[in-house]
Amino acid sequence: MSLDYSKEIPLVQGDLTMEDLDNAIVKPLDSKPSNKYFIALAFTSGLLLLGVLGVSLTFYFGIGEWGNNQPVAWGWGITNFVFWVGIAHAGTLISAILYLLRQKWRTAIARFSEAMTIFAVICAGIFPIIHTGRPWLAGYLIPYPNSHSLWPNFVSPLVWDVFAVSTYFTVSLLFWYVGLIPDFATLRDRTVSKVKKTIYSLFSLGWRHSNRHWRHYEKVYMILAGLATPLVLSVHTVVSFDFAVAVLPGWHSTIFPPYFVAGAIFSGFAMVVTALVFMRKVFDLENVITMDHLERMNKIILLTGSMVGYAYLMEFFISWYSGVPTEQYVAINRAFGPYAWGYWIMVSCNSLFPQLFWIKKFRRSIPVMFFVVILVNVGMWFERFIIIASSLHRDFLPSSWGYFSPTWVDFSILIGSFGLFFTLVLLFTKTLPVVAMSEIKGVVEGAQPSHHGGDHNG
Amino acid sequence: MSEAKDEINHENNSQEKDINYWRSFADLHNDPALTEASKNEFMEGATEEFEPSKLSHLSRRKFLALVGASAALAGAGCADYRDKGEIVPYTHMPENTVVGKPKYFASTTSDSGHTCGVLIKTREGRPVKVDGNPDHPVGKGKICAKCQASVLNLYDPDRLQNPMRKTRTGEFMKSTWQQLDTEIVNAMNLLKGKKVAIVSEKITSPTAKKVLDDFAAKYPGTKIYSYQLFNTEIKNSAWKKSYGTDFFPFIKWNEAKVIVSLEGDFLGTDGDKVENSRLYVEGREVENAKNFNRLYVVEGNMSLTGMNADYRLKLRPDAQYGFVMSLLSEVAKRSASNLSANLSGFSLSSFAKASNMEVKKLNHLVDDLISNKGKGIVYAGRSLPEETQIAVNLLNELLGNTNLYRTDSLPFENLKLSSNEDWNSLISDMNAGNVGMVIHFDSNPVFHLPSDLGYADALKKVTNVISITESANESSNAGNYVLPLSHSFESWGDSKTRTGFFALQQPVINPIYNTRQKEAVLLNWIDGAKGTYKDTIYHEYLMQNWQKNIYPGLNSKLNFREFWLGALHDGVVLVNEKEFSIGSFNNSVVSNLPGSTAKASGYAVILRESYFLGDGKYANNGWLQELPHPVTKMTWDNYAAISQNTAKSLGVKSEDKIEIKIGHRNLKIPVFVQPGCSDDTITIESGYGRNVVGVVGEGVGFNSNALLTKSNSGSPWIFNTSDVKKDNGSYKLVSAQEHHLFEKSPNENIFGERHILKEGTVGEYLKNPHFIEEMGEEEHVDEIYPIHPDWFQGVKWGMAIDLNKCTGCGECVVACMAENNIPVVGKDQVAVGREMQWMRIDTYYSGTGDEPIVSTQPMLCQHCDNAPCENVCPVAATTHSKDGLNQMVYNRCVGTRYCSNNCPYKVRRFNFFNFRDHFRDGFQQDKLFDLVYNPEVTVRSRGVMEKCTFCIQRIATEREDAIRENRNVIGSNVHTACQDACNTNAIKFGDINNKEAEFSKYRNHELGYYVLEQLNVKPNVTYLAKLRNTHSEEV
Amino acid sequence: MASGKKLHSITALFKSPDEIINAAKKTTSAGYKKFDVNTPYPVHGMDGAMGLGQSKIGFVTLFFGLTGAAFIFLFMWWSFAASYNIVVGGKPFLAAPAFIPITFETTVLFAAISTVVGMIAVYFKLPDNSHPLHDTEYMKAVSGDKFGLVIEAEDSQFDKVKVSEFLNGLGAYKIEEVYYPEKEEFRMFSPKFLLFLGIVVIATCGTTYVTLNKAMYVTPFDWMDYQDKLVAQEKSNIWANDEGMRPPVEGTVARSDMPYPYMGQTTPTNVLVNPTFPNKEILALGKKKFLTFCSPCHGNLGDGNSRLNGQFPNGPTLHSDKIINYSDGMIYHIMTNGQNAMPSYARQVTRKERWAIVDYIRVLQRAQNAKESDLQAVNKESVSNVQN
Repeated sequence: MSLDYSKEIPLVQGDLTMEDLDNAIVKPLDSKPSNKYFIALAFTSGLLLLGVLGVSLTFYFGIGEWGNNQPVAWGWGITNFVFWVGIAHAGTLISAILYLLRQKWRTAIARFSEAMTIFAVICAGIFPIIHTGRPWLAGYLIPYPNSHSLWPNFVSPLVWDVFAVSTYFTVSLLFWYVGLIPDFATLRDRTVSKVKKTIYSLFSLGWRHSNRHWRHYEKVYMILAGLATPLVLSVHTVVSFDFAVAVLPGWHSTIFPPYFVAGAIFSGFAMVVTALVFMRKVFDLENVITMDHLERMNKIILLTGSMVGYAYLMEFFISWYSGVPTEQYVAINRAFGPYAWGYWIMVSCNSLFPQLFWIKKFRRSIPVMFFVVILVNVGMWFERFIIIASSLHRDFLPSSWGYFSPTWVDFSILIGSFGLFFTLVLLFTKTLPVVAMSEIKGVVEGAQPSHHGGDHNG
Repeated sequence: MSEAKDEINHENNSQEKDINYWRSFADLHNDPALTEASKNEFMEGATEEFEPSKLSHLSRRKFLALVGASAALAGAGCADYRDKGEIVPYTHMPENTVVGKPKYFASTTSDSGHTCGVLIKTREGRPVKVDGNPDHPVGKGKICAKCQASVLNLYDPDRLQNPMRKTRTGEFMKSTWQQLDTEIVNAMNLLKGKKVAIVSEKITSPTAKKVLDDFAAKYPGTKIYSYQLFNTEIKNSAWKKSYGTDFFPFIKWNEAKVIVSLEGDFLGTDGDKVENSRLYVEGREVENAKNFNRLYVVEGNMSLTGMNADYRLKLRPDAQYGFVMSLLSEVAKRSASNLSANLSGFSLSSFAKASNMEVKKLNHLVDDLISNKGKGIVYAGRSLPEETQIAVNLLNELLGNTNLYRTDSLPFENLKLSSNEDWNSLISDMNAGNVGMVIHFDSNPVFHLPSDLGYADALKKVTNVISITESANESSNAGNYVLPLSHSFESWGDSKTRTGFFALQQPVINPIYNTRQKEAVLLNWIDGAKGTYKDTIYHEYLMQNWQKNIYPGLNSKLNFREFWLGALHDGVVLVNEKEFSIGSFNNSVVSNLPGSTAKASGYAVILRESYFLGDGKYANNGWLQELPHPVTKMTWDNYAAISQNTAKSLGVKSEDKIEIKIGHRNLKIPVFVQPGCSDDTITIESGYGRNVVGVVGEGVGFNSNALLTKSNSGSPWIFNTSDVKKDNGSYKLVSAQEHHLFEKSPNENIFGERHILKEGTVGEYLKNPHFIEEMGEEEHVDEIYPIHPDWFQGVKWGMAIDLNKCTGCGECVVACMAENNIPVVGKDQVAVGREMQWMRIDTYYSGTGDEPIVSTQPMLCQHCDNAPCENVCPVAATTHSKDGLNQMVYNRCVGTRYCSNNCPYKVRRFNFFNFRDHFRDGFQQDKLFDLVYNPEVTVRSRGVMEKCTFCIQRIATEREDAIRENRNVIGSNVHTACQDACNTNAIKFGDINNKEAEFSKYRNHELGYYVLEQLNVKPNVTYLAKLRNTHSEEV
Repeated sequence: MASGKKLHSITALFKSPDEIINAAKKTTSAGYKKFDVNTPYPVHGMDGAMGLGQSKIGFVTLFFGLTGAAFIFLFMWWSFAASYNIVVGGKPFLAAPAFIPITFETTVLFAAISTVVGMIAVYFKLPDNSHPLHDTEYMKAVSGDKFGLVIEAEDSQFDKVKVSEFLNGLGAYKIEEVYYPEKEEFRMFSPKFLLFLGIVVIATCGTTYVTLNKAMYVTPFDWMDYQDKLVAQEKSNIWANDEGMRPPVEGTVARSDMPYPYMGQTTPTNVLVNPTFPNKEILALGKKKFLTFCSPCHGNLGDGNSRLNGQFPNGPTLHSDKIINYSDGMIYHIMTNGQNAMPSYARQVTRKERWAIVDYIRVLQRAQNAKESDLQAVNKESVSNVQN
């Protein structure tokens, strides 16, 4: 098919009226869930249970249940943490950065990807806690007044993480909720069930769609977007500090912040596409979440993927250029040492396959994009694993070199985190409007005054 | 219009209908209606004086919050008092005791013929740590790893706790001493002519010997047999043939300029390791580098001594004779002296070619020997056969090196070891049924004696087999009486292993179990076991024996009581015995040295004594089992060490199993491909493969004693066989360092370029004393942050490790485990790299895989001023103290392990499990182990990071003393555990800020360098670069 | 009926955004103040049409953002540099660069929360679910796809009829009057609520108590609290009598602790020689220990005038010739070994202290029967003291 990019692409296809939109979006909330839905839910919560088992074993017997050892003291725990934080970033990017860039097409997918942000942060937040040797004392990382007047070490990147991730979670939640208020109001006024009405009323806070409110509301929405944008960049920067601040060769590198942020957006978009491909089909929102949306996202995947690839090359160059033997060794060891297999999985998945998106046909083909984004998800997980394991397992003193190999508990916890994520996603699709109704209504044909009289003499 | 009205009404109705629906939200904000309502409510209320207007501003929500808060407060308020257990006072406190302060007792420990003079640290009447007795003339305050770890054996739950007898069904039943004593005595009275055989290990105690003699006198027909798995019989007999006197003398290693050791691991297992290392490093003082000694080692497999060699040559052990003879001929030729020996068949050059030895090294060797006549020594390992020993004696004689034999002190034997003939006759007697009783006198012959001797089978023919032993072993299982033996820390005794002094042994704790010491058991039987046994029976006997037989000979000025107490206090009694003379070399023996040797073929198999398990006595000691092998870093196993070429020819790689057949004897054992092995040489360490020993040691390793034979020609430990083949299956060997480091030959000098190791030669150093500092010049980095002005002002603790003295033996590691309550983690955990030792000896290979050069480096927390671990700890659980210590706060640690990641030296250790619980199903949680833990050191829990603390508990003790004595802390008063244990005093510890102190000499030495200095973490551990005493033209 | 209720406002519904914009403009120009427009989504240009200015909420964000930044930075400075100094990795106490990330995050956190809370609570006066407009057909319509305009009764120029007509004039397709809902009352002390209250109290009390006093002390939370090692004066059930501290074995000799050789001899063959020199310090020590351990029986002056006066057999005077003639070593021996009724004081009094006591006893004896010469000596000393 051929598209003319010069003219604005209609954001909603098949000229739906506002009412149609409302109905389409609210349908999953009012209709009884199908058996398919329950099967899916059973599956994901099964995975979740597996993870719970792994975590309980770890809690009872200790981190020894994992593959971690002396040189490689961080294994999959932190890998998963960084992975999920990365996933989270797409949501904020779409809802905040694209909003500031006036990318109207974001409206259709903003709500969903924000939800994914929140769920991903929840998944991520679990790992720093369970990876500690004494999880029940993880509270020590939070500055709370105590009888010994002991405070956390504000110089440590892990404490920065605590602040960054918790702030990120709070702000994303606020952002999400503020967006939801008008929709809650709409739902409140649509529904007939008393229980639902109670709940919606509670959450809508008695919103009245009043224009005297709208004017503040829009301002606040922009402010939040303005706050979330630097925040999202800072969060993965801080996460990258966990490594960049260390003295370890392979970690101690100034390229990490941009490299991590690019990677985060990369993986996040991949995850969003993975989910959207299903969702638009299942809830027949093809006209709301159109192929154009997906194509645009694939373009961003192509861009960020190439940035990540550039970072890989740059790591080699810098390590050679630094002239530091340990740095050079780590670079070589990554590509050709015991973890070479992981490294090449990472490179091929993250930098080679996304190049398919140079071709428009592939950008707009569901199977291809699905194939690619799955690989990207895999590759980005491996990126974090490689950064952690391959740098740690052979550092300064050859006498203390080792090798990390995961146990089944490691696997169970990783799988469990996916279980948690998709369980939350499934519940979300059945309880809340997956598309921002008040926003999408604002962008359908003829939603705005034809002559912008008000603007001129206002 | 009206229409409109209707509409409106209709609206209102609908509103009315729905209105109750909003009831639940009416209180969301408090409106006047609320209080109105409540007012009315209360007019009818019972409580008259209630003032509702007070409530007027109070919404339900506020009210709830208040109630909740006050409730929570109430809940928190009533807190429990937690019972911390009761306090038990020190009733019967001895004089001069301060509770909480240790007391030290001088004593002696002995295992299979080897003794150490120890100083046992006790807390409230129980031993917690063992160090060397500074007054002991051999150890001079240092002891071997086995003796350090013996305190763990004392509290071993696997020890026998009661006497036991075998029932008809074959299992052992708990019994009482009273009953068994009478039974046994009756049995002995009913022997009527049948023999009694007492089988003992080498007897070191004169008084014990006397007890045995008394026993023999009381029960005629008693014969005493003694053995020692690894002995010096060959050396002694060779010496007797060469010089006529009985014992091969000790050697003045400290005076030797050139040392040539042939298959002799004198720094490890050959001779008294502690003394040898001490004397050897006297020739390694950097203070006078001019007089460095030079060590040549010619051996089949890399040994501890081989690691320290300046020149190392590979040679299979059964070719040593040819080598010595060739050496002789060369030396004779060069020094133009004619010998009666027939050397025509030997020439060094052809020998070198035949067994491809490096000619350059050989020439150096010969030159050095000849140019240092009288100042060199050639030492043949105890395992080499007699003719080799004689040839070596001859060589030393020829070079005039005899003045390096010590004449002030000689080995001393209380009882000669039994010869093969003795054993054969005993076996035949047993088989013939002439032996009525066998007493295993703290010995394990079933495990130690050659299998083809048939001892185990012969034992079946004996009606009464009695084992007096600490814990069940192979021999005790074969018998029918097992009598529990007291640990040497629970026993009295004395020992005399060489002329010049006696050593005394005193107990430091009353027997924990229902045990007796072996001498007491016999004494009781001598008295006929009339039920009048007293625990003091041997104590009295010992004193009487000394009073009667030893004290008079010493003509001391003190009366006996004073003398005795003084002797116990010192632990040793020096006696001046006459110097002996070497005597003249008997040339006749030379002539019957074989004039030629067949080219060595097949595989040479050599058994070596294990560095840490001895002859297997310590197999149940977790500390020793987990102590990494000094050379290969292997733990928890023994293996067949072979060279790369041999591995190729056998078609095996590391961890594959091979089967070794020698005659009818065979052994299946995994191989380990080790650099520096001579080809076709298989080296196996003994002491492993115990079946009956206890939870820890059971089935660990492979029993190489299976290869021993009664009919050994030449040497009982060296065999030659061509029947070695790959066996199916492989076996996991775990080492504390990655294998690939040993297998590949690291041709790139990774250690040098990373500033881990800095080495040079004596020549370089003498030419330019600052060459090490110059190496480091490019490393210095500018400071970003200013140094804290008020920090590190007073004492600042630091350590200096002299790599010229460090032999890499690993004594410090076990000392650290004992001092700091470090748990044993077990083979499976070492396999995944979770060993807990705070200190480790790193071994680095350079050169080629065939001819490796070994460097060792003790690695522990460097206590960096700019510690990278501190920056990253999120909870400030590791911070810096004002006296320069990198502190670890266990209670604060949540276990993120970030510090370990960021430690460039990887010296931090994490409790991945509660290892005390995890190892052997909570074996280490046995109540008894509570006693061995150092009361001054926290026992860490799961999930906590830990590391070397510079023995902060000892620093604290010094601080307390300083306060009490109202003085400043003195750096030299603090000794770390590793420092105390180091046989060669390679480890120095003290106050960096005290420039006068002897320590600062090492801290600021020109050879000193920091590991990874380029990181600018500013370590407080200085390493003194190793100088190799190679020939300067090689520089 | 309707007449009884209080009118809140009159509402009008429109179908298209253009209509509502115009309606808004007209209403504004007609001079109505208390009116509002309700649209399912923000309609561009409506602010202008209603004559509303820019929202000022941005200042809230700014203010609280800066507050957050200042607060956290000062806090970190206080906890690291002021409250308790910790050296971490050789960094200065105020490692400002390392504080930047946290400062930034906290700024954002404060700004975001304050903005949202400010908007909802302060600007919108929400939550407000009992607003009259709620639950009307009007509201249903505007939250769907219709556009509404509402003029409130409070408006100065409000007149029911006029307004209806005005709205009709604007072309509203539906007009509706909205009334205040009836206030309904509810009882604070209704039994249901009291029951609920009771449950709250019990639950809070219970959980707090259990967490603070029980849960905190169960495994694994008590790890390293109880140590697997045996420390001084601790009970140990390894031995029958539960004593963790063992007596040393009879006849052994610890380092620098030679046993007293004449122990157990009533008339020792030989005694030790006094190693101390009776200087002021030693005598002071001796006096202290004498008064502590000896005086109860022998009296403060050693004259046998017991402080226990008779509750216990009086110790003999120390001024008898027998004792005066005793050698120092003998007195030391009696203290160490005990004599007759007197037990051994070896455990309570250290060796040095025992010798010091001996010296002090000598002083007492001398003082008891002093000679002329002593008097002179004392005088001389006091004189010299005066002079100094």
